[in-house]
Amino acid sequence: MTTTVVLPSVPALGGLFARGAGLSLQRRVRSGPTTLPDVAYVVRGVRADASHLTAYQHLLGEPGSDRLPTGFVHVLAFPVATALMVRSDFPLALVGLVHVANRVSQLRPVLLTDVLDVRATATDLRAHRSGTQVDLVTEVSVDGTLAWRGVSTYLARGVFLAGSVEETSDPFVPPTPTGRWTLAGDTGRRYAAVSGDRNPIHLTALTAKAFGFPRAIAHGMYTASRALADVGAARGDAFDWSVEFVKPVLLPGTVTVRIAHDGDGFAFAGWDARSGKPHLTGSVTPLS
Amino acid sequence: MARPTPTPSVRKAYVLGGNRIPFARAGGPYVRASNQDMLTAAIDGLVARYGLQGERIGEVAAGAVLKHSKDFNLTRESVLGSALSAETPAYDVQQACATGLETVVSLSNKIRLGQLESAIAGGVDSTSDAPIAVSNRLRRALLDLSRARSVGQKLAAVATIRPKDLAPSAPNTGEPRTHLSMGEHQALTTAQWGITQEAQDEVALASHQRLAAAYDSGFFDDLVTPFRGLTRDANLRADSSLEKLAKLKPAFGLGLDTPATMTAGNSTPLSDGASAVLLGSQEWAASHDLVPLAALVDAEAGAVDFVHGDDGLLMAPAFAVPRLLARNGLTLADFDYIEIHEAFAATVLTTLAAWESEEFGRTRLGLEGAFGSVDRAGLNVHGSSLAAGHPFAATGGRIIATISKELHRRKVASGSDTPVRALVSICAAGGLGLTAILEAA
Amino acid sequence: MTDTYLNLVNSGFTKKLAKQLGLPQPAPLKRYTPGQPLAEGAVLVLGRGSESDALSGLLSTDWNLDVHRHATPGTRYSAVVLALTELTHPDQLSEPVLEIGTVLKSLPGGGRVVTVSRAAVADDAPAVAAARQGVDGLLRSLAKELRGGATGNGVVLANDVPVTAPSVVGALRFFLSTKSAFVDGQLLAVDSTAGSLPEDWDTPLAGRVAVVTGAARGIGASIADTLARDGATVIAVDVPAAGEQLVAVANRVRGTALQLDVTADDAGARILEHALQRHGRLDIVVHNAGITRDKLLANMTPEKWDSVLAVNIASQLRINEALLTSGDFTDDPRIVSLASTSGIAGNRGQTNYAASKGGVIGMVRATAPLLEAFGGTANAVAPGFIETEMTARIPAVTRQVARRLNSLQQGGQPVDVAETVAFLSSPAAGGILGRVLRVCGQNMVGQ
Repeated sequence: MTTTVVLPSVPALGGLFARGAGLSLQRRVRSGPTTLPDVAYVVRGVRADASHLTAYQHLLGEPGSDRLPTGFVHVLAFPVATALMVRSDFPLALVGLVHVANRVSQLRPVLLTDVLDVRATATDLRAHRSGTQVDLVTEVSVDGTLAWRGVSTYLARGVFLAGSVEETSDPFVPPTPTGRWTLAGDTGRRYAAVSGDRNPIHLTALTAKAFGFPRAIAHGMYTASRALADVGAARGDAFDWSVEFVKPVLLPGTVTVRIAHDGDGFAFAGWDARSGKPHLTGSVTPLS
Repeated sequence: MARPTPTPSVRKAYVLGGNRIPFARAGGPYVRASNQDMLTAAIDGLVARYGLQGERIGEVAAGAVLKHSKDFNLTRESVLGSALSAETPAYDVQQACATGLETVVSLSNKIRLGQLESAIAGGVDSTSDAPIAVSNRLRRALLDLSRARSVGQKLAAVATIRPKDLAPSAPNTGEPRTHLSMGEHQALTTAQWGITQEAQDEVALASHQRLAAAYDSGFFDDLVTPFRGLTRDANLRADSSLEKLAKLKPAFGLGLDTPATMTAGNSTPLSDGASAVLLGSQEWAASHDLVPLAALVDAEAGAVDFVHGDDGLLMAPAFAVPRLLARNGLTLADFDYIEIHEAFAATVLTTLAAWESEEFGRTRLGLEGAFGSVDRAGLNVHGSSLAAGHPFAATGGRIIATISKELHRRKVASGSDTPVRALVSICAAGGLGLTAILEAA
Repeated sequence: MTDTYLNLVNSGFTKKLAKQLGLPQPAPLKRYTPGQPLAEGAVLVLGRGSESDALSGLLSTDWNLDVHRHATPGTRYSAVVLALTELTHPDQLSEPVLEIGTVLKSLPGGGRVVTVSRAAVADDAPAVAAARQGVDGLLRSLAKELRGGATGNGVVLANDVPVTAPSVVGALRFFLSTKSAFVDGQLLAVDSTAGSLPEDWDTPLAGRVAVVTGAARGIGASIADTLARDGATVIAVDVPAAGEQLVAVANRVRGTALQLDVTADDAGARILEHALQRHGRLDIVVHNAGITRDKLLANMTPEKWDSVLAVNIASQLRINEALLTSGDFTDDPRIVSLASTSGIAGNRGQTNYAASKGGVIGMVRATAPLLEAFGGTANAVAPGFIETEMTARIPAVTRQVARRLNSLQQGGQPVDVAETVAFLSSPAAGGILGRVLRVCGQNMVGQ
């Protein structure tokens, strides 16, 4: 029986990170749980703010309509999932979790005037060749109808709670580019300002170095959301948007991209033109 | 192919003449000249050539691709500064590199409908005097400051300014959606169609040689008026050779897995310049003792989805021309002259290659086979942008004036009633293309 | 192109100083503006006979001037006309000439003396010829005695030309007016009764279409301005490289600009085509385009010699040929060509230029008869030192000396040349055939 925890409002990420950091410290001292808590976090009556929406749209290159971009709904709703991840009975420490993939089904348009109900759960704790993965599922409903469903996959490197598996993936071959992103040094800070995700690894070279990165790295969701914006209006009203984050983008940096028609939908990829190594790959597939 | 629909019975609009200033290289003799300075000079030269001082022209339309916000009424301001009647109306147009041709097309259509008797079409661009904007953050802070009422609000607005916000942001020629430059886009298309550097250099060489020959023969005596001491296009290299061109290092397409072939020699340089074209009805021309040179028969715009890699950025004319010709019941063989704007030598060659490709004809144009091939002898007969330079919005006027004079000359020389036709094709940023048919008068 | 010296000697302390030092005292010349009266004050017409009466009638009746037939003591005459066409013996000179002498001192600044006489020819009785030729010497000397910007010029009639012939009337009016401000000590021949007087002296070129070569700047631009002011439709021609300035001129005069190298083989055809197509006719051609490539003959290069001859004379011959054979240059046509005092008197370092300008003088002499049948003519204007961009490049000292070497002790303005060109382009000049009129302030060199 799933326990439902109703929060009065969407919590601020800053506080959650602080709490997560504290818990992570505790994890070092004593071992924690090895199964996911059977709990759902819920926030009702969430509303988007118009100027927040506009700032997001301008930063990502989305049209300035009253329709909430799919990535923006993620920004609104995901703190609810984060709140679940900083519970003391959550088996993986928040600090050190790597966002490796994200899948969103936009089932119907969500408007600025809509009142959103957000529900977050954690599922599918599973083995990965380099650690343990978990899916955070966030669902957004309007008037009781599911409009948006996101699955964010996180990896805890070096944490083997459920054994390990060997996975193979096809080697990445850079395709013909269709464009290029030139990402300034403040890209992480600017996305942090609209997303609330002020993880130090995105903010400055100094704070990123503390976590083992040579420079600040771009938010994965920033790169995924830009790819979605580049697909543009052709994505339609209802679609699946999925992305795998392969290698972080160091800031400032240049990402060569291909965002192109692929069957009924679009495939996208971003890579380093010099090394040929991918940063992200993904697709946008219309839902009929 | 669908049967061509008959053109509605409208009267004809004629090109009566043109004028431009020589095109300069960026940072050259026009470095301190504004768009308004250059457009006014081009209009004044046209006025002087055709004795239009104090004339109330039906309408003047022109534009610039790189435009200062203070130039919101660029064309009207240029008219006010010219020798034309101050009662001449004007409006600005902007369609990237197709701006100049679009002004010709839209004004011609107004003449054809009887809405106008006379018109001047034009365009201007300065890459030397390009607008520099303040950064977005500084702009927002300044706007907030201007709205602030209390000292506190003012201080708050100023406090948001960071030192780096003071760095100006210059316009770049990158496509807003892909952030690739036009050259990088063309390099992708060039590689896709397997166009060699040698073939591109040949196009560039022909452009220089033909433009130089036209100047030497006096062809431009009544098409170009010197400005700021410049008497010929600054980019023109009459002594260019394939050997010299071959030595130039590639400038675009360096990150591709095929050899880079596009050099500064077979790409147009950033340029400054302006052009103007005089248009009118038969009656207006007669009443002003002017000789119609050519009629603008029809035009077709096109666009491609280069953002998602379907087609090359500059390939829209490859689609627009087949539609235009089909509507008019014509084939490429019906044209004596073909003017394809040389944004890059490779742009011309990829367009020709697409038209000659069976597969492109079938799959992309929906034809039974290849669209057709172009007789190179009639292609860009007096040189084009590679030699003349390419001040974006001024190129359309240059091409229209040049080819209209040539059409009329050929018609007069032939002494027959056989139509003499030219096809004009201009590619533009944003995956745009504008194409038109002219017929000698 | 200002004459600083001229300004200095006409103002304040420096004026007094110059006078005491006996330095040249050039006076500012009054130029023509539309609506200006022909003479400001009484005009004295001297001489006996019916022709002098006819001239007097013209001045008083047609031109509404206050004409006196004898000098009234105390009257300041703004102009004196000496009607000497009926002289038969040098003895007859004394009466009118001595009478002039009494009024010369009171002649105001910018005053005019104009003689009207007949040309001495071999068929004349010796006494007649002596009297007639005597007028030449008289006028030239008299002109040198005038001060304050006053000038003396003469109209010299062929034997069968009455004083009422249009060109006599036109020349007389030109010399009396401020249009001839820098023309001094000149005798202009009237050869026939051809020509016609304008309906309106303010717009003598109304309805006429004129081509001016070298019109982009300097004298050419001024000629374009002046012809347009006189009512002509102007086609401003210059080399393509001068197009920017040409535009300014064409738009100023509300004419058309034609960028053209006059040395091109088809220059004449292109000028005619433009004129007929755009303006329906061509009446006046002003050959003003010219270049200098100065070099002592010992150092002369073929390039310098050939280019000067090609532009300054060969192009004119070729264009004239095209016009004359076209059949479209037949309605009282006028050719006015720019010669130079160098072409008359010679100038060191200008063998090429002087040869070309001498050539112009010969050309108009031989071209005028070819146009005569159509009521047309060809004449030349020979400027002396004119203040232009070209003369501004002469070294300062040389320039100062050159300016003072004429009776008016100053350089002329481009408009002085232009006014003379405009007169010779006018319908009234039809009886002046193949002549040269100098605009030099009576330069000390040459004729």
